[in-house]
Amino acid sequence: MSQSIVSSPIPARAGIGLRLPHQALVAATRPAAAWFEVHPENYMADAAALAELEQLRAHYPLSLHAVGLSLGSAAGVDAGHVARLRALTQRLAPGLVSDHLSWSQANGHYLPDLLPLPYTAEALDIVCRNVAQVQEALGRQLLIENPSTYLCYAAATLSEAEFVAALVRRTGCGVLLDINNIFVSACNQRRDARSVLDHWCQTLDRHSVGELHLAGHALVATSGGEQLRIDDHGDRVCAEVWSLYENAVAHFGILPTLLEWDTRLPDFAVLQDEARHAQQRLNAHAHTAAERDPVERDPAERGPGARAHAGYA
Amino acid sequence: MQATPETGAGACTSPASWPLATLQARMATALMAGDEAGRQLPEALFAGALPGSEGLRVHRNTVLGAFSNALRLGYPAVERLVGEAFFDRMAVEFARAQPPVAPQLAAWGAAFADYAGHFPGTEMLPYLRELARFDARFDELARRVADEQFAGVELAVDASVTLCFTAGLLVHSSSYPVVALRDAVLADDAAALAAIDATAAEHHIAMWRASAGVMVQPLGSAAARYLRAALGGATGEQALAAALIATAPGQLEYAPGSEADVAAQLQREILRARFVRITTNDNAVTGAGQ
Repeated sequence: MSQSIVSSPIPARAGIGLRLPHQALVAATRPAAAWFEVHPENYMADAAALAELEQLRAHYPLSLHAVGLSLGSAAGVDAGHVARLRALTQRLAPGLVSDHLSWSQANGHYLPDLLPLPYTAEALDIVCRNVAQVQEALGRQLLIENPSTYLCYAAATLSEAEFVAALVRRTGCGVLLDINNIFVSACNQRRDARSVLDHWCQTLDRHSVGELHLAGHALVATSGGEQLRIDDHGDRVCAEVWSLYENAVAHFGILPTLLEWDTRLPDFAVLQDEARHAQQRLNAHAHTAAERDPVERDPAERGPGARAHAGYA
Repeated sequence: MQATPETGAGACTSPASWPLATLQARMATALMAGDEAGRQLPEALFAGALPGSEGLRVHRNTVLGAFSNALRLGYPAVERLVGEAFFDRMAVEFARAQPPVAPQLAAWGAAFADYAGHFPGTEMLPYLRELARFDARFDELARRVADEQFAGVELAVDASVTLCFTAGLLVHSSSYPVVALRDAVLADDAAALAAIDATAAEHHIAMWRASAGVMVQPLGSAAARYLRAALGGATGEQALAAALIATAPGQLEYAPGSEADVAAQLQREILRARFVRITTNDNAVTGAGQ
């Protein structure tokens, strides 16, 4: 039962975001997958799905990727939700736990979106307080993901990368770097995505990054006829994002990488195929790195996830 | 006293210097607003390459779409009956009236059945509220773990016989034939739907979660009273007495003709049901539920 489950570190391989429509198939067939990541909120009011996931957990490393902590809320995090997440982490013993640099609670209500923060000193204080509170409650490190953005605030005094780097320094949290989100945000702000990634690389402690995310997105027209990229996780990873990913792996090293797909969910085999594409790039980098530096340490030991069980401070 | 986002200093200052609490309160209100004026935030708040209103539109679509999708999962028959566009209108208006307070959206929306039943434009579907209530029950049970061990309520029928019910077993009562309605709607079977006598009459259903999914079994009035009493903690004698209560004149309820009728109904609908296991004091197990 749950007491016997030991936390398995997430391998530095390409995993798959497991969604409820695929779960029964995965439970029945146990397909090849290096690891799975799920949204814990989907299991907090679904005992049947949780029981099935608990069985899967015995066969695959598992990561919990939350969407509801609202780490950027000025009103603070919801203690009840933190308690529910804590109960799940104790039951499922995930290798990684993460959420987003965003907010979704205000006026006493929950808004199901990852709403953007102004990158200011005030917001940094608030996010640091909230992240520290959650890490304390969970007794482990959180990874914080950069969201896709469609808004920039006039009040911002820090870049997103500077904000995240400061957050890492002050709380000991790790970083879940979403490469698709970097691309979507950069394009929507009419900036060069490679330059934005370079800024992330220069700003972050490379060892603070514990996981990478990849996904597809949609291209739509605004009411003014301009192009807008929507992070809908509804397509294959585009060529530009694969290129950015190769650059990110070259800088941050071989890290657990997750393929996300949420809307217009295809057959599970398509997700496996996308994961294979990511794994090929990880393998290529490993080969190159081995030729260049044969004593480079085991990439599975890299990243903050590896020290998640030894304390986050 | 601490200033609130709406009354604090931030409300009077330039948008670019609003405290975070003010910004979040204003943005949340703008995202949920139904009227165009309420959706606006000052453009001075934003500095991106695109107008702030465009970004707000993306977030509004995401928020409202997520509300609709969450309710769609819990009320599939309602959505199929009224159509996607009408369902989205109901869902968004419901979310504006009763937004969730926590992120696990599967647990939100219990009041949607009443809301949908009174929503303008649904007057021609008098059974919509009851269908929605049944959808919600179905969804609630689907999210439970199946009980194969009959680990629910136990009822001592007499000194030697005990009924063991499956955990989570419930009696659902409705004034419309919701099982037939839901089956026809989800099957897109217009002919079957048209053939259903949807006049108001009392219907009772036993519902439980098995490993194969959510199970339903129609119950007569006496069996429903018996089972409801049993699940409510009554003794065997009390449950039997509840089953034998005569129907008051004028009530829309099946009236048992005699104690023999009630006994036959209980035998047929309770003792042989798949949601019950019968044990005797010598540990023998009998009955259809095993």
